[in-house]
Amino acid sequence: MNLTPEDITRFLIAISVMLFAAKVFGELMRLIKQPSVVGEILAGIILGPTVFGTIAPDIFNTIFANSKSTDIAIDGITNLAVIMLLLVSGLEVNLSLVFKQGKTALYTSVIGMVFPFAIGFSAAYFFPEFLGIKDPALTLIFALFVGTALSITALPVVARTLMDLNIFKTQIGFLIIASAMFNDLIGWLVFSFILGMLGQSGHGFDISVIITSTLVFIAFMLLIGRKFFNRIIPFIQNKTTYPGGILNFIFILGFLGAAFTEYIGIHAIFGAFIVGIAIGDSAHLKEQTREMVQQFVTNIFAPLFFVSIGLRVNFITSFDFMIVLIFVVLAFAGKVIGCGLGAYWGGLKKDEALAIGFGMNSRGAMEIVLGILALQAGLIHERVFVALVIMALVTSLSSAPFMSYFIKRFKNSIDVNSLLRSDLVFFTKSNSKESVIEELIRKLSERYKLDYTYIKSEVMKRESIISTGLGNHLALPHAKIKISEVHFAIAVSKEGIEFESLDEKPAKIIILLLTPFDHPELQLRLISEISKKFKDEDAIKELIDTDDINNFITNFKSL
Amino acid sequence: MFKKIGLAVTFSPNSKALLKETKVYSEQFASEVIFIHVGKKNESIERQLKELISEYGFNSSSINIVWDEGDPAKIINKKCKENDVDLLIAGALEKEKVIKYYLGSVARKLMRDPVCSLFILTEPSIEPKPFKKISVLIDYSYESEILVNVAYQIAIKEKATEICLIREYEVPGLAITVYDTGSTDETEKTRKIWDSEEKEKMDVFINELNLTEIKVKGVCLYGKEGWEANNFVKENGSDLLIMSAPSKKLSFIDRIFQHNEEFIFKELPCSILLIK
Repeated sequence: MNLTPEDITRFLIAISVMLFAAKVFGELMRLIKQPSVVGEILAGIILGPTVFGTIAPDIFNTIFANSKSTDIAIDGITNLAVIMLLLVSGLEVNLSLVFKQGKTALYTSVIGMVFPFAIGFSAAYFFPEFLGIKDPALTLIFALFVGTALSITALPVVARTLMDLNIFKTQIGFLIIASAMFNDLIGWLVFSFILGMLGQSGHGFDISVIITSTLVFIAFMLLIGRKFFNRIIPFIQNKTTYPGGILNFIFILGFLGAAFTEYIGIHAIFGAFIVGIAIGDSAHLKEQTREMVQQFVTNIFAPLFFVSIGLRVNFITSFDFMIVLIFVVLAFAGKVIGCGLGAYWGGLKKDEALAIGFGMNSRGAMEIVLGILALQAGLIHERVFVALVIMALVTSLSSAPFMSYFIKRFKNSIDVNSLLRSDLVFFTKSNSKESVIEELIRKLSERYKLDYTYIKSEVMKRESIISTGLGNHLALPHAKIKISEVHFAIAVSKEGIEFESLDEKPAKIIILLLTPFDHPELQLRLISEISKKFKDEDAIKELIDTDDINNFITNFKSL
Repeated sequence: MFKKIGLAVTFSPNSKALLKETKVYSEQFASEVIFIHVGKKNESIERQLKELISEYGFNSSSINIVWDEGDPAKIINKKCKENDVDLLIAGALEKEKVIKYYLGSVARKLMRDPVCSLFILTEPSIEPKPFKKISVLIDYSYESEILVNVAYQIAIKEKATEICLIREYEVPGLAITVYDTGSTDETEKTRKIWDSEEKEKMDVFINELNLTEIKVKGVCLYGKEGWEANNFVKENGSDLLIMSAPSKKLSFIDRIFQHNEEFIFKELPCSILLIK
C-alpha cells in the first residue's frame, strides 16, 4: 500500500497538529509544576474522539481518521516512539547504583513490586468480572498484566519530582532513583514475558525457547555487550562526528536489540530497554549525549505517542467509574504500602518511608506504554485502558505533593536563616574570645539541655587548631558534637573582640555553630553559607550598627 | 601511625624490592615488622628467609616470621589479624589479565577485603623513591579527616610537593529529567550549582584542616565515582593514592557491575594506601 500525495499531506498535518498540541499542553503543565506527559495525554484526549471528534467530527476525520495508509504510518511512528522511549529509559538505569544503595533500595524495590503485584493479581484473578473480563481463558494472563501494571514506577516522573523538590542529590533521592531503576528492570522483564505468553510477537517459538533466549540475551548484553560498548564508545565519540556518530550508534544498537527480542517472541521494547542499560552503563558515555538522546526522543517521538493515545480511545464512552476507582485504589494501596514497608524494613523512619512510598507511586508514561501494548494485543479492552490512563495521571499528579508533604516533616532542609531564633541572638558585653564563646555555649546549653562542659571542650579543641575569626568582623566558633540537630546562636559585640582574624579586624558578630557529628558535610555547607553572607562590607557595617535584635535578624536574613 | 607492619615474604625479585620498601617505611613510622610466609614451616627455608630479610637491613636476631599453609590471601589476612598488624605492605600489578582480574590475584583479594590498612606498591624498588604527589579520595566524613592526616604525615616524611584532595559525586538519573522539561539548560544549571556547592565545601574542608607545611589543593569531579578519580590521578601524575578501605567485602558481582573502589582496583593508577 503506497501513500498518495494527499495521504502524505494529511499525515504531515496530523503529526504537526499532534506535536503542537503536545508542546502547548506539556508546557502548560510545567507552568503548574506538573509532569509534561500529563499535558501531552490531555492534548490527545482533546484532539481525539473524546472532545474534538465529538465537536467537529468532519475536521477530525479529515486530519486523523482519513485513510488506512496514514493510520499505518502514524501507528509505525508511535511504535518506534515506544521503542525509543524504552531505549532512553534503559540508558538511565544505573545498576551499580542499585548495588551501592544496598539493603534499603533492595527492600524498597522488591517489596514495592511484590506487594502491588500481589494485590493487583489477586483482585484481577479472583474478581475479573469487576474489571470487565468475561473470558475465563484470559483470567490468568489478565491478572498477571494488572499485577505488573500496578508495580512499575515511572522513572522520569520520579526524577522530575526529585528535581523539583530539590532532593535529587540527597541520600533519599538516590534511594528512590535506585529503587525505581530496579523496579523498571524487573517490571519490563515480567511484562515482556506476559506479552510473549500472549503469542502476539515472535515466530511461534516454544515458551522454553523464548525464556532461554531471553535469559541468554540479558546475560550477553549485561556481561559481554556492556563491556564491549564501554570499549567502543570512546572510539566512536572521538573518531566520528559528534554527536551524530554516537547518536547513530545508540539507535542502531537499540533497534537491533528490539528486533532480536521481537523475533524470539519477547516484545521489541524489552530488547531496546536492555541495550539501553548496556550502553548507559558506560562511564565513557558523555552526560551531554544522554541529554541529547533524551531531547531527541522526548521532544519529537514521545509526544506523538502520548497524543496518539487520546486519538485511539474515546475517554467518555469508555469511562467506567468502578474500574477507574478500583485501579486508583489498588495503585495507591499497592505502591504506598509496598514501597513504604520496604523502605521502613530497610531501616528508614516512618515519614521517610511514606515519602518514598508516594514518590514511587507515580506511574505516568510507563503504565500507559504497558496499557497500549496490552490493548493492541487484545488483552484488555478500552474501559480498562482508560482506567489505566486515569490511574497513571492521578498517581503522577499526586506523587509530588504527597512526597513533598512527608519530606518537609523530616528533611534536613537547614539553611542559616531557618536556624535563627530571636532568643538565641543577643548583644554581648563579653570582651574576650573565651568569655563570648562561654556565653554562647551557656545560652545553647540552657535552651537545649546540652552538656556545657562537653561542648566547651569540643569548641575550644577546634579553636586550638586555628582561630575561627574569618574576617570582616565575623567569628564562627564551631564543633561537631553528639547531637541530633543543628544548634546556632549569635552574639553581637558593639566594641568588638580580638579573634585573631586574618584581616586583624575585631569580631563583632560571633556565631556559635554546633552540628551533629555524623553529618560532617552539613557543617561544611553551613560554614560556607555563613561566610558568603559576610562578603559585603557595607551590609555588615549596617548589620553591626543595628540596635534592635528583631531588626538585626531581619537584616541578617537579607544578607 | 602504624605500630606493626606486616609483609608477606617469598624469594621472588619483587619480594626483595618489597623488603627494601618495608624497611624504609618501618623506619619512617617507627614500626615493628612481622614477616608472613605462606607454606610449610621448614628450618632450611626459615634460615634462607632470615638471611634474605637481614640482607635488607633488618636485625637478624629480631626477625619474626609467622607461617601457615593454605590460600595465600586468606593466610596473610589471618596472620595479620592474629598479630594485630595495622599496616600490610604488598605489591601488585597495575593491571591484571582479564581472567585473573575476575578470579582475583592475591593482591586484588587483599584489596577487596582488607583486615587492616593496606599499602599496595605498584613499582616496589630496591632503591625506593619518595612520593612526590599524593592524592586523597575524600567524602568530608570523619574518616576523610583521618585519610588527610595520614596523607599529611606521609607527605612531610617523604617531602612530597603536593597533596590533592579528590571529591567525586554523581547524581544518576539527572539526564532523565530532560524528559519532562526538554531543557538541557536546566540540568546544566543544576550541575553548576552542585559543582559550586561542592567547591565551597571543599574550600571550607581544606581550611578547617589547617595544613600549612604542604600545598593542599582540592578538586571536585562529577561522574562515576572511582572511575573519575582513577582518570584524574593518572592525568595528575600522582604517585600515591590514599583512600578508605572498602566498607564491605567486594564480591564477584562488584567486579561485574563495577563501582567506586572496583574501578580503581581494576587498573591501579599508582601505588595505593587503603586505610581501615
